[in-house]
Amino acid sequence: MMLKDKTRRLGRRDFLRYSAAGAGALMAPGLVRPAKAATAALTMHTWSAAVDTVQSHLSAFTKETGIPVNYGNSPWAQYREGMVAKFVGDAPLDVMWVSDAWLPEWAEAGWIAPVDEFDNLMQYNVEAEDFCTDSMTYGGRQYGLTYYTDYMAFFYDEAKLKEAGFDAPPSSWDELVEQSLVMKEKGIADYPMMLAMAQESWLIEFISTLVYSHGGRLVDDNGVAVMQDPKEGAVEALSWVVDAVNKHEIVSPACVETGELAGLKAFAAGNHAFAMVAKYRLRMLNDPEQSQIAGHVKQAMMPQGANGSHATVGWMRFHGMSAQAAQDKARAENAAKLIEWFGGKADGAYTFQKLLFLDIGAGFGVKPLFEDPEIRAAYDSYGDVDMIQAQQALARKKDTVTPWFGEWNDTNGSAWQSAILGNVDAAGAVAKSADLWNQLKDSY
Amino acid sequence: MLFLAPVMAVLGAVAVFPIAYSLYISFFSMKLTRPNRTPFVGLKNYTDLLADEAFWGAVWRTVSFSLVSVTAIALIALLVSLLLNQEFRGRRILSTILLVPWAIPYVANALMWKWIYDSSYGALNGLLYQLDFIDKYMVWLGDQDKTLFLIANAFVWKEVPLATILLLVSLKSIPSDIYSAARVDGATVWQRFVHVTLPAMKPGFLLVMIYETMMAIRHFDLFFILTEGGPGSASHVLSWHIYVETFRNLSFGSGAAMSYVLAIATFALSYLFIRTLGRRI
Amino acid sequence: MSDMPITPPVDRIDYRRRQKIGRIVQRLVILISAILLTAYVLAPVSWLVSSAFQTETEIVSIPPHWIPEHPTLRNFEAIFTAGNDEPVTYETRSGTDPAAGDFIPSTAENLLPSMANSLIVATLVVILNLLVGVPAAYAIAKIRFWGRNASVYFILITRVIPDIALVVPFFLVIRKLGMLDTLGSLVITYLAITVPFTVFILIQYFEGLPDELDKAARVDGCSRFQALIKVFLPLSMPSLVAVVLFTFLTSWNEFLLALMFTQTSASQTLPILLASFTSDFTVSFSFLNAAGVLAVVPPVIVAIVFERYIVSGLTAGAVKG
Repeated sequence: MMLKDKTRRLGRRDFLRYSAAGAGALMAPGLVRPAKAATAALTMHTWSAAVDTVQSHLSAFTKETGIPVNYGNSPWAQYREGMVAKFVGDAPLDVMWVSDAWLPEWAEAGWIAPVDEFDNLMQYNVEAEDFCTDSMTYGGRQYGLTYYTDYMAFFYDEAKLKEAGFDAPPSSWDELVEQSLVMKEKGIADYPMMLAMAQESWLIEFISTLVYSHGGRLVDDNGVAVMQDPKEGAVEALSWVVDAVNKHEIVSPACVETGELAGLKAFAAGNHAFAMVAKYRLRMLNDPEQSQIAGHVKQAMMPQGANGSHATVGWMRFHGMSAQAAQDKARAENAAKLIEWFGGKADGAYTFQKLLFLDIGAGFGVKPLFEDPEIRAAYDSYGDVDMIQAQQALARKKDTVTPWFGEWNDTNGSAWQSAILGNVDAAGAVAKSADLWNQLKDSY
Repeated sequence: MLFLAPVMAVLGAVAVFPIAYSLYISFFSMKLTRPNRTPFVGLKNYTDLLADEAFWGAVWRTVSFSLVSVTAIALIALLVSLLLNQEFRGRRILSTILLVPWAIPYVANALMWKWIYDSSYGALNGLLYQLDFIDKYMVWLGDQDKTLFLIANAFVWKEVPLATILLLVSLKSIPSDIYSAARVDGATVWQRFVHVTLPAMKPGFLLVMIYETMMAIRHFDLFFILTEGGPGSASHVLSWHIYVETFRNLSFGSGAAMSYVLAIATFALSYLFIRTLGRRI
Repeated sequence: MSDMPITPPVDRIDYRRRQKIGRIVQRLVILISAILLTAYVLAPVSWLVSSAFQTETEIVSIPPHWIPEHPTLRNFEAIFTAGNDEPVTYETRSGTDPAAGDFIPSTAENLLPSMANSLIVATLVVILNLLVGVPAAYAIAKIRFWGRNASVYFILITRVIPDIALVVPFFLVIRKLGMLDTLGSLVITYLAITVPFTVFILIQYFEGLPDELDKAARVDGCSRFQALIKVFLPLSMPSLVAVVLFTFLTSWNEFLLALMFTQTSASQTLPILLASFTSDFTVSFSFLNAAGVLAVVPPVIVAIVFERYIVSGLTAGAVKG
């Protein structure tokens, strides 16, 4: 008993002494959650892109509607996993950015809710690209309004092309090999073609582009894997990559560790003559502050395979509404207002999509903006609007977007990498990926 | 015991529920994309692992990664702590410099190494090329035979300081008169090292082995930022496998089962270390 | 008859010379290994520092410019230009505009606040660890009681589950406590993941201290607690410092839990902000490196303050059994 009392007394004194430094810190803001404000604030979460642009648009929203918004953001690479934790842990959340690839998964899990009952949102579909509306639709319901959309483009360095003695960029993958071999021989570039095949979220966009331009598909309309069929382009596309790396040596063997950003930087540093990257990168590539080949980068149609076309892959991200917000009528209406403010018109104009395009070059999903003089002027300064639109017309969404996409994606990426590394042949790698696909499909 | 109460309170409040929760869900087939179908499956998640090739491949890679890194960490830390235990000028500065890797957050550390290893403009290639060790730029992380070792290098580089500190603390607890006594007895440097220094460092080694093994077999950040398990599956280690299973495949049940297998292995190893290196526990 | 007189004087000189050579060799070994170690540790760091002062175009030069040819402070300026508290409007937005050559992340000004967050969390975790860990370690090391081994293994068990498996249940606990998106959530979870090892470090050290000390103190009329405070703690400085460094840096480094539990800049810690700089649209490696350089400063200061207690072994020799 004695001991116990003493301990308590000393313990308390000690605590005071040792935590003197911490006492001030305890009062620091943010250590505990402040009391809720009177007006129910909305919570919006995005990945950490265009943060300032979003914030400026949010300030305008609160000013206009009086609805405060708690805005949070987390890194893109960890965004999906972070959101999963938030959904499972039931964190407060109303509006968030969603990638088209996650839509079936998040809808099936009951995390996001359709927004097609809000007429103020549906009115914008008339002016939206069908591709976008289509990509936001799952099971016949629409889940949001566009944040941005873009597609995979083929760029070349005009100076290097001329130096090698060619007047026109390659129109087929075979022609690309021919031109690249000449460039190698003349010492213009060690690895003329830049392909970023590292395991990351971009990989599926590159893979789909290669397959589409080889005239193939990964999965048919019924959701059955067709990639393993030699006539369906996937094996052909992968074989092309394997040969480009190992036989022709026109793509660096380091491509399996090169992510999209690293590859982009290498292309901008003048290491390569051809590159496959997102179309919005064109702006950065022709900016002298960031690119050593600024002014020389031109877009061409995606090269085609022997039985293929100039088709490419498109993707989009959208503003979605959480299921918990949808359950409360008043909250849902406010959330819809916020989605409209971003994905539709704010104060009578597509302010956010325009700002986003002007600030970072990201593509917009509404057709009227193409006629906007400011936007045309910006495009003209670094690109060719006709080419941009011609390629956009051939952009198709990923055919693998299903509830089990996330489960299949990592294995598929590692199968493609294994073929490039020479561990398996192209047919074997694709077959393995197809097996997993069908197995997953059957389990749903 | 009153002295133990605070620790037990903290761990009881924060750690016991999560541990029980994970164990509980590991008995269910819990796939988040099928929220209405989460049947109790007993030990099925565990027995499925036995036949899962990808799982065993990941286990194997984790074992090699941990073996290489922990050995390297322990050896380098041993040498550094012996060095820092000497009296010489500049010791304070050196010891502070040696702490720098530890101070770089793992995210920054991973990004830095990614940048250094980059095969087209990385510093490693630049340096080796300028020193004429290589005649053309090499592929580093993209080479499946090198990936695991390169990641281990980044891990070791970061972990050595902590291990050094732990060893140094036990070195400092060796009473100096033991050394004098040994010297008077005519013991050589080597004999003193083997019979006095090494045994006295046991507690430090125990801590280093437990902690670094624990950290190595569950290490995640570097794999995430450097390779995401690639190229192919060259760096697809167990912690990455669990992450993918849990947060990408959204299979919380089997992810939890894998975590438990990893936990049991970690516990067994720690127990082994305590039994062989521990004093009394 | 001792052996001494028989030993010829020549031998003695030889012995001395050997000692001298031995000392020179020892010095050389120390010098060389110190140089090698410093190079191993500092090479990546100096590249980090150098590239922090380069422009984005210079940083991708082949071969790399070890010393910046056009050194620039813009990365640091962006971090230290304090943001005003006004809400961002269309006019004041930075517009992360690559075309204008300004691709420094618009969240650059959040770096210092996030460092402050990290600092607050790490400091509190250190203090709580000591308050909670020291008595526990002392009890386990020096007091015989029923269930002692069991408590050691219980503490160990709480630490063997990988963090990934703990994220969701931790999340549920944090939400129950109403602490989502607060620094408190990080303090609590970091305490839970550091305290087991803190106790382990201290047990190992306390066990090395002779039991007689404890007994002597008790005979002198000290309570257990007084014995701990007055006798053991002063002798345990090196291990306490090891605990301080360990807990501080673990909190400083932690990424996964911070990623999951924080959302807004009010509670985001440094690693989260660092990761967010590698955003979807643009990334500046030189800026990232500048941020990385700054991230090293606070822990190094902490290390400089505390480390001498370990390295110079202020208390070494005080324990003579």
